[in-house]
Amino acid sequence: MTAPAPIDTDLLHAWLDDELPADQRAEVEAWLRDHPEDAARVRLWSADAQALRAHLEPVLAEPVPQRLSQIAWSRAPDTVSNGWRRWAAAALVFVLGGSAGAALTWRLQTLRAPASAAAPGEEGWVRRAAVAHAVYVPEVRHAVEVKAQEEHLSRWLTRRVNVPVKLFDLRAQGFELVGGRLLPDAKGPSAQLMYQAIVPAGASAADTKPVRVTVYLHKPDDDTPAAFRYEQQGTLGMFYWVEGKSEQGGPCGYALVGELPRERLLAMAEAIFRQGDSVPR
Amino acid sequence: MDAPTCFRQQLLATIPRLRRYARSLVFDPSQADDLVQTTLERALAHWHQFDQRRDILVWTLSIAHNAFMDERRREKRTVVSDPQDLRDADELQAPAADIGLRLDLVAALAQLSIEQREPLLLVTLEQLSYAECAEVLRIPIGTVMSRISRARSTLRELLDGRRPPSASSRGLRRVV
Repeated sequence: MTAPAPIDTDLLHAWLDDELPADQRAEVEAWLRDHPEDAARVRLWSADAQALRAHLEPVLAEPVPQRLSQIAWSRAPDTVSNGWRRWAAAALVFVLGGSAGAALTWRLQTLRAPASAAAPGEEGWVRRAAVAHAVYVPEVRHAVEVKAQEEHLSRWLTRRVNVPVKLFDLRAQGFELVGGRLLPDAKGPSAQLMYQAIVPAGASAADTKPVRVTVYLHKPDDDTPAAFRYEQQGTLGMFYWVEGKSEQGGPCGYALVGELPRERLLAMAEAIFRQGDSVPR
Repeated sequence: MDAPTCFRQQLLATIPRLRRYARSLVFDPSQADDLVQTTLERALAHWHQFDQRRDILVWTLSIAHNAFMDERRREKRTVVSDPQDLRDADELQAPAADIGLRLDLVAALAQLSIEQREPLLLVTLEQLSYAECAEVLRIPIGTVMSRISRARSTLRELLDGRRPPSASSRGLRRVV
């Protein structure tokens, strides 16, 4: 058996910090067995780290000073308008007008004050996605314009919206495509894809209200990619992001809306992001 | 749009960890909380830049790092103080128990250059991976690795008395 190559000090540290792949880890461990002086050094480093943690650990248990926790609840500087949900609720009432009448009164009661001239800023399309969700998700017979089974759905939406509309496969996340529709947005058409929770075989789908999420796609004003953002009001959550220009086309803004826990929405948003093919940033 | 509630809750949850990290950087509790305050304000102002797929702690730690570096740059430009005042102000806070050992450890930590101290703290105290540490400090992973290596060795030499503390030493005497 040949003597192992001398182990670099950096590797000893990386071993201590559990940063090595299995084979290198084994190499370092073999080295430490044969070199007690190095093993002693590593033990000292480890003891120093423990002493450091023990020294600063009590800070975690201290009550958070009020001046710090207050900041988290203060108004974010340089921002305007209220949350999109309030705007969406107000817009919904406006859209449906008197026809929905009394049934929607409770929604109005959730509005603390009229959305003070909530000028649709850069996030205007996100609010429209929330409104479109609220309008079409309760639909029983006309939830979508074109059903998922019709193969021209993707081509049609892609052509009209002028962004690559992929029919994302969310079956791994427990949702299947119902279909899609074309919607008017501020600067041209946008698309809405609707997904519905897969009802397990044997369960009666007739009695329960279907759980639905919608994906809103729109062509953004410029092709600046934007990071994933999440917003939640009540039980309704929403992930939205903008993917930059790529070979597949784009740029494209996505908004995923649904009454689901954040983790489930995130899993779906990530599946959509992966299937979108275009590389962000 | 103003920052959504869920972001504020996430931010709130990072405060204890931010305070601990700040304390290990600037030692003085009230100055450390000033740093946390600046960090929270910046995070809130830039909430829309936070990618929800990332770890909010890593994101806020990187903001704390930037705020700390800005503060140091500002101090370098403006400091005109009586050295005696400075020494009093820098007097390290003594923990309740095991004073000799711990003061030595913290004093030795204070001797490390900031370039070595931060990676060491992020990895050993905050238990970030090298990759996360590299993200916070915006340096390559290889650099993280070598700085940690040097930091631990230097810390050991200081604690063993094999390396004389630098002239600007603060609080290195035993207070037992």
